[in-house]
Amino acid sequence: MAINNIGFGPSVLGQSVLNVKNQLTDLQTQLSSGKKSSTYAGMGPSEGFAVAARAQLQNISAFTDTITNVNTTIGVENTALQALVDGGQTVHDALVLNATTLNSSGQTNAQQIAAAQLGSMLGILNTQSGGRYVFSGSATDTPSVASMDDILNGTVTQAGLKQVISERQTADLGTGSMARLTLSAPNPTSVALTEDGSVFGLKLNSITSSLTGSTVVQPAGAPPVESIDLGAVNPNPGEDVTFTFNLPDGTTESIKLTATNTAPPPTGSFTIGANTNVTATNLTNALTTAIQNLSNTSLVAASAIAATNNFFSEPPQRVSGTPLATAMTLTNGAANTVAWYTGDAGPGSARGTAVARIDQSIIVKYGARANEQAIRSQLQSIAVLAAVQTSPANPNATAQISALMSRVTQNMPTQPGQQSFQDIQSDLANAQSTMKAATERQKQAQSMLQGVVDSTESITSDEVISRILALQTSLQASYQTTSMLSQLSLVKFLPVG
Amino acid sequence: MSLSQAINNSVAGLRVTQAGLALVAGNVANANTPGYVSKTLNQVQIVNGEAGASVRTEGVNRQLDQYIQKQLWAETSGSSYATRISSILGELQSGYGTPGGNGTLETAFSNFTSALQALSTSSGTPTAQSSALSTAQSLALQLNATTQTIQSLRSSAEQDINNSVNAANAALKQIQDLNTQLQGMQSVDPSAAGLQDQRDLAISQLSQLMDVRVISDSGNSISIYTGSGIPLVGTQASQLSFTSQISLNANSLWNADPTKSGVGALTITFPSGAKEDVVAAKGITSGQIGADLNLRDNVLVQAQAQVDQMAATLASALSDSTTNGTAVSSPPQAGFDLDLTNVLPGNTVNITYTDKATNTQHQITIVRVDDPAALPLSNNATTNPNDRVVGINFTGGMASIVSKLSTALGNTNLQFSAQPGSVLRVLDNGSGAQTVNAGSVTTTASVLANGNASLPVFTDGVSLYTGAITSAGSQQTGFAGRITVNPALVTDPTKFNVYNTSPLTLPGDTTRSDYLFTQLTTGSFYVSPGTGLGSTTTPFKSTITNYMQQFLSLQGNASANAKQLKDGQDVVLSTLQQKFDSTSAVNIDTEMSNLIALQNTYAANAHVMAAAQSMMQTLMQIQL
Repeated sequence: MAINNIGFGPSVLGQSVLNVKNQLTDLQTQLSSGKKSSTYAGMGPSEGFAVAARAQLQNISAFTDTITNVNTTIGVENTALQALVDGGQTVHDALVLNATTLNSSGQTNAQQIAAAQLGSMLGILNTQSGGRYVFSGSATDTPSVASMDDILNGTVTQAGLKQVISERQTADLGTGSMARLTLSAPNPTSVALTEDGSVFGLKLNSITSSLTGSTVVQPAGAPPVESIDLGAVNPNPGEDVTFTFNLPDGTTESIKLTATNTAPPPTGSFTIGANTNVTATNLTNALTTAIQNLSNTSLVAASAIAATNNFFSEPPQRVSGTPLATAMTLTNGAANTVAWYTGDAGPGSARGTAVARIDQSIIVKYGARANEQAIRSQLQSIAVLAAVQTSPANPNATAQISALMSRVTQNMPTQPGQQSFQDIQSDLANAQSTMKAATERQKQAQSMLQGVVDSTESITSDEVISRILALQTSLQASYQTTSMLSQLSLVKFLPVG
Repeated sequence: MSLSQAINNSVAGLRVTQAGLALVAGNVANANTPGYVSKTLNQVQIVNGEAGASVRTEGVNRQLDQYIQKQLWAETSGSSYATRISSILGELQSGYGTPGGNGTLETAFSNFTSALQALSTSSGTPTAQSSALSTAQSLALQLNATTQTIQSLRSSAEQDINNSVNAANAALKQIQDLNTQLQGMQSVDPSAAGLQDQRDLAISQLSQLMDVRVISDSGNSISIYTGSGIPLVGTQASQLSFTSQISLNANSLWNADPTKSGVGALTITFPSGAKEDVVAAKGITSGQIGADLNLRDNVLVQAQAQVDQMAATLASALSDSTTNGTAVSSPPQAGFDLDLTNVLPGNTVNITYTDKATNTQHQITIVRVDDPAALPLSNNATTNPNDRVVGINFTGGMASIVSKLSTALGNTNLQFSAQPGSVLRVLDNGSGAQTVNAGSVTTTASVLANGNASLPVFTDGVSLYTGAITSAGSQQTGFAGRITVNPALVTDPTKFNVYNTSPLTLPGDTTRSDYLFTQLTTGSFYVSPGTGLGSTTTPFKSTITNYMQQFLSLQGNASANAKQLKDGQDVVLSTLQQKFDSTSAVNIDTEMSNLIALQNTYAANAHVMAAAQSMMQTLMQIQL
């Protein structure tokens, strides 16, 4: 038979006292922890809301972290962009002074400033924020641009900008500095100019003549040919003919030759001969000299700019074939040319290369690439200045430098319809204001959600304390009563013995 | 002669008073003995002669209100049921942790989503990747730990049933013995009263273990049945037996077929030798055994289903992707080509078609089930309520798949055919009677860099989680206990970002981390009705966060309700006990006043005797 314990019989009073005691313990735990309970069950029926609210709070706090990070990155990007704008401005200011004096290294003061700025701009483009290269698009672990030395001078296996410029110059000037043009005489009284069908050198634009009795044929055919026939009557002194050419960088230059009776003719003139046959020969000679002169001055500058554009293209373009002076086309030079931009160049917008979710349904795009139009175009202008070196001994040096500087001065400000630094900055500013709005909303939501959690799980110490007091009173009363009741037994009042 | 009669009467009075005194002493001595019922003396007068009457004792009376006693037994089993349920649910609550604190599912889950979110911001950094990995691991561990808590509670319920069964058998045996002894005794027999006390005590012990119905037979004997009417003891006792398992896991579930059951079987052997499965017969529904059975087979199984569902949804949400089929048309038929190459057991092929006659849309879900013993599948094998589920064994190759599908879905008039390269073509029959609206294939990513944003972050040990169904059950059962972070991902956490190796995903590419985050926070999934949320016809569909909130509330409310029920039951029980005690318990005051009365009676009897004696003496001294 099982042995049973002594049973002291449960009593409602005893149980109530125990109950009150337990409640008191619970309240003490509440007071010290500040929470209603340590289990989901003890939090009451609306605990479900608190669980949901806490999940949302956690999301908001993750979003807040994201916003902080993204804001930092955008700040870094903005600083970098502003520094790029300032650097560009410095170079532009130096150019405007237009000092063409060459120093011993074959560069003007403005070019040296440009070289220094190029170095610092490349440094800026390799800026990191939190270990990410911000101007590399999605390739955040790769520096955005190659080093200045590699870009200008190339590596062992790959050509730098200087080599590309020099090759292109050879190709553009062609044989005998004729800029790929051939002069001929279809008949004794005429002068004709023919292109060689390549992409290099001067391209015929138009021909205008005020010479009496002359007939012009505008550029036509493939390769294009233009000509002027003096006819039977000699022109009068002071009348002129203008040949306009397109240069590789998209600019145009004109050669204007004026008829004169002086022999030998001054620069820009041709001597009127005994008949139109002789005059045509004189015109041919004058034109040859003028073309060679144009080649050695403006074309050199234009070629350098075109070469720089080729170098900064994606992929880089190189003169195809040897000898360079008779090369006909450009070719993909990715294999043997330094890639100046080393970040991600995938499809899609540069902004879309860094995307952050800052709210359940809101994303901001804040990526940037060093090869964006605005940045690339400014880099190109400054790089060409830094790369070109002109020998002071060259009789055309001043003209070449002047041509280069005026072209760059013109190219530097943003061209209509092209991306500017302001465009990038305003994209980033939009992202920032989106984040600001989201932050405001999240702050409100946060305090509301925190309220839900607090009202479900937290205690009001005043309330708990007053409940403790009430329980204390009732417990004391119960103890007192229990004690008094225990005294009330007949056994106490029976006489002993 | 009346004088000697008076002496005799007072002697009888003294005897009765002494017996009364002995009874008072017995009552007082047994005041705190469990099951002791206060006794009173039955004394009757004996008329002898023309005047006066003698007295004698006629056994003892038990001070008992049988109606209250029966109620007390009934409430005892109710109370011990409520106490047990409440205590286990309370322990389960501690398994879920302190709300908002560390070591809870919600915190582990929030940390994981935050880490994924950070992965998008500082994408590609090893720190963010390893933080995503470690939070994923702690989430998996949390699910494992919760499973362990639930299963150890189930094991302790199992152990407890074993102990309870032993105690119940002892009580049954005792009742049987006492029944035998009491048979033929007078109910007022003082020794019978003591035996009855013992028997009542055994019954009240039994009623703590299970719900009992007590029926008094003639001749002091009683019969006891369970609440549902299974005979436990009369003159012969039935014997309960329990084949206890050492420890239970999530896959050990009760089954009516003993060969398939993974838990201890509770059987009752009747005196005739016949046996009955108590669980199958729902023989015990209350008391401690009833509570343990309910916990082991329902309450805790549901709690396990809830975390399993969470683990399964978590794994599938991140690893599964649905690819739409290619529309094909071979007039007059039209339909879709579905590539079955990557369909693993548990993965599905989904077809939607419209029946033109009734203009109703039907969904068909073809589940790959390679275990023939698990076929055919029930329509509830998927959580989607609107689909018709067909389980198909894929091991026989395309020709076999097509023939099985054609057999299973012949009445839909859809036409299946095999195309080169494991492609299944489904077409309408060209009569215009139906249109195939859509076809898609849901597959589980098996490699990390699969060119797709989905990533098998969590696996079932070293194998993939695909929700495969076998004859042993669904892979989902107990998955929370086995879920782990994909070992391949542990070796190479960069795959949290890198979803493509050629071309290599760039470090700033947030496609995958963003997808994972969105799936976890906004993706919506059906929940199995086994979790207690939703039903087969209208299943609960929600995000993972919301689901977690729902089941935690459900458990919290269940625990709070059980506690309330227990508190209520306690009050009822102690009130009844109080009531019972007011008649049956020894009241010291009463006994003391009885004692005084007895003292007085004894003195009075002695006095009467002395007076009669003196009168007798007087009579004797008369000198005639």
